[in-house]
Amino acid sequence: MAEVLLHVEHVSKSFPGVQALDAVSFELRRGEVHALVGENGAGKSTLMKILSGVYRPDGGRIVYKGREVRFQNARESAEAGIGIIYQELNLVPHLSVAQNIYLGREPRSLLGYIDDRKMNVDAARILRELNVDIDPAVRLNKLSISKQQMVEIAKALSKDSEVLIMDEPTSALTETEIDELFKVIHKLRSRGVGIIYISHRLDELKHIVDRITVFRDGRYISTSDYASIGMEEIINKMVGRKLENLFPERRNLPTERKLLEVRNIVHGTVLKGISFDLYEGEILGIAGLMGAGRSELARAVFGADPRDSGDIIREGRKLDIRSPSDAIRNGIAYLSENRKEEGLAVKMRLDQNVTMANLGEVSRRFGIISGARELEATRTYVEELDIRTPSLLQVINNLSGGNQQKVVIAKWLFRDSRILIFDEPTRGIDVGAKYAIYELIERLAREGVGVILISSELPEILGMTDRVLVLHEGSLTATLRTADTSQEEILNYAAGLGSLGAHGASAALAASASGAGAPGRNAAPGASAR
Amino acid sequence: MSNEITREPTIAAEAESKAESKAPAGFGRKKFALDRFVIFGAFVVLFILFSVVAKNFFTMRNVLTLALQTSTVTLMGIGVTFTIITGGIDLSIGSVIALTGTVAVIAANAGMPIWLSMVMGLVSGIVCGFLNGIMVTGLRIPPFIATLGMMMVARGFVLTITNAMSKPAPDAFGHLGNDTLFHLSSKFPGIGYPVFIMIAVAIVFGFFLRKTRIGRYTYAVGSNEEASRLSGIKVSRIKVIAYIISGFCAALAGIILASRMVTSQPNGGISYELNAIAASVIGGTSLMGGIGTVAGAVVGSFIIGVLGVGLTMSGASFFVQQIAIGLVVIGSVSIDQIRYKKK
Repeated sequence: MAEVLLHVEHVSKSFPGVQALDAVSFELRRGEVHALVGENGAGKSTLMKILSGVYRPDGGRIVYKGREVRFQNARESAEAGIGIIYQELNLVPHLSVAQNIYLGREPRSLLGYIDDRKMNVDAARILRELNVDIDPAVRLNKLSISKQQMVEIAKALSKDSEVLIMDEPTSALTETEIDELFKVIHKLRSRGVGIIYISHRLDELKHIVDRITVFRDGRYISTSDYASIGMEEIINKMVGRKLENLFPERRNLPTERKLLEVRNIVHGTVLKGISFDLYEGEILGIAGLMGAGRSELARAVFGADPRDSGDIIREGRKLDIRSPSDAIRNGIAYLSENRKEEGLAVKMRLDQNVTMANLGEVSRRFGIISGARELEATRTYVEELDIRTPSLLQVINNLSGGNQQKVVIAKWLFRDSRILIFDEPTRGIDVGAKYAIYELIERLAREGVGVILISSELPEILGMTDRVLVLHEGSLTATLRTADTSQEEILNYAAGLGSLGAHGASAALAASASGAGAPGRNAAPGASAR
Repeated sequence: MSNEITREPTIAAEAESKAESKAPAGFGRKKFALDRFVIFGAFVVLFILFSVVAKNFFTMRNVLTLALQTSTVTLMGIGVTFTIITGGIDLSIGSVIALTGTVAVIAANAGMPIWLSMVMGLVSGIVCGFLNGIMVTGLRIPPFIATLGMMMVARGFVLTITNAMSKPAPDAFGHLGNDTLFHLSSKFPGIGYPVFIMIAVAIVFGFFLRKTRIGRYTYAVGSNEEASRLSGIKVSRIKVIAYIISGFCAALAGIILASRMVTSQPNGGISYELNAIAASVIGGTSLMGGIGTVAGAVVGSFIIGVLGVGLTMSGASFFVQQIAIGLVVIGSVSIDQIRYKKK
């Protein structure tokens, strides 16, 4: 058995209000690929940040190459030989590829200035090792996201790391690029590098992984040889509960009344003529892989993005929607997937956010806001949605993700929206708060609101919706009744394979069951932390 | 409809909340007052300090002069605060001062009634602000660049039409800047009209920013432009309004300045925009947008004013004043930063 390279012993870490890690242990041997899996909030990212020196643990110890280490910052861990490839790109767009790879440790010439030639030659060698065709002198922002991801990997490799942490390295790569990456991983492994591999795509693990460790809710669950454990067992350990109980019971049926008819929406090559109907009291899911055009469809309907053609009809009347304010006036609301970037004014107060889309309602003549009416409205929704806040005048930044999401919902309820489009409403929200959001969505549908639910998590789609639209590369490939469909069927349509075929869908099924699906590159920063 | 949803199950809760509705507004309002108190406290401390150090500082005559002199920076500071809150900046206001005052004087010399000539000046300032707003929203030019361009264009324009020469205005033009109300004796020479204008502008725009929808949207746009747009706020309109307010306030300052001198000042107001921005920042406005108040800008202006007058009367040179004001800007912002970090 190979030497143990890294040993995490009973490490704990808490943040205000969250025990992110509760005495977890983890072991990495020389020359192994060790997968670390768990749902969002399981504590994987927190552990990685501790290993890379970004956070310091509250308790427990880390033994690296036989010695206890306490990294004070990212530089120390990098110098010790622990490299990390983050899910989000950490590159400088305006520098060249080589400059990015050697950022902060540029090779110097004798006279002390930067030796560009050596830098480019070295970078080219590393890129060649990766088998990718990238010119080291080209500016980074000229590259596609997947190529940039390869640069990130090259950067980590260039540091001669003995431990390499990969956090969702394949989420933006194409099939061939993934194959290349796996070849590199094999090469590194045979060189004796220990690799910690974090991924939500359980199907890809079988190509590379030796052992697998499961975390759940900040706790260590188990470590097993990958060969000796089945997919189902892994998922059960990750989830730790029956999936059926995750969602509230649907207590109403959609009515026959059409609330919204969307006809032939086209936007460049992103949306290629999509039509659908939304009924009163319905929860309509939109499923699809990353880049399928789910959010884009919602944004086009809402007027947030322009559309080339297509009609939006409400109760028989064609709506002229050119901007969000047009949509809002017609009772349509959109809750963006990027809560902090697009949903909330985080520096402003709770009450100001709740009333932001409907200030007229709490204003007197000449647009003068009535503070009392504003507080009254805010109080109603704080109580109604059980928003946990010390004060109605709390600055939004200081609320938790789940509560922030409720504030966004409150904003649109206060606007009397009849059609609510939820885009990944539970991303980055902990399990308990998720259920509250689901209950709320269910209740809205019961009250006759038409809900569109965009989600990467298929269990969420299956557990919540009445019907599902499946998109593939900007086209609608299927409209399914949720009760009659399955994850396999949805995935087949999402992959553009047509009706149920074999094509490895069950492996991908496991991926989505892990509760993460395809994490977007532009996910809210808060979403991937903890 | 969603109102129904939300009301229906909360009758009990609502009754409860009504029962305690005397306390409700309290719910956390005090913290805000404290933040602003710090800067106001600094002003008071400075004032007391100079009253002790410099003889004649704390005389009625001097205080009135101080208020009169500070009125221009205050007006500009109030205006520029609006643009900074939206996440922008207005560098053109120093030139706008020269332009608007000159336009008014030329109009008066051409035989227009004084009030109309002053309105002409105001209009020219509003036009400058409007153009700034169009450049920032329509052409999507970064505010720093757009208003830097306007600063040069407006200055060049006013120098061209006047050939860089100051011209005297009719005597009547000087009333606004030099006459006073409540003149009692030589000890109390009365309060200048500009001071009343400043107070009125501070109250009106302070109320506007704090209490009206457009004011609220100004903060929202600066805090999160995309979230504001997706909430149905017409972001461009709000920004244009902010630049118009900035232009208008600068125009008021320009007319007051020209009136006090009873001449046009094509070379006047150079680098005044920096004092106004400094005043706004000292008063707690964040250059990142979303944060700032009219009251803060007023207090910030007066800190600069008191420093200037106080140091002069203590015998310090103009150059030392520059150092002091610079340090106050740096100091006040670092205090803000430290305070935010703690949170």
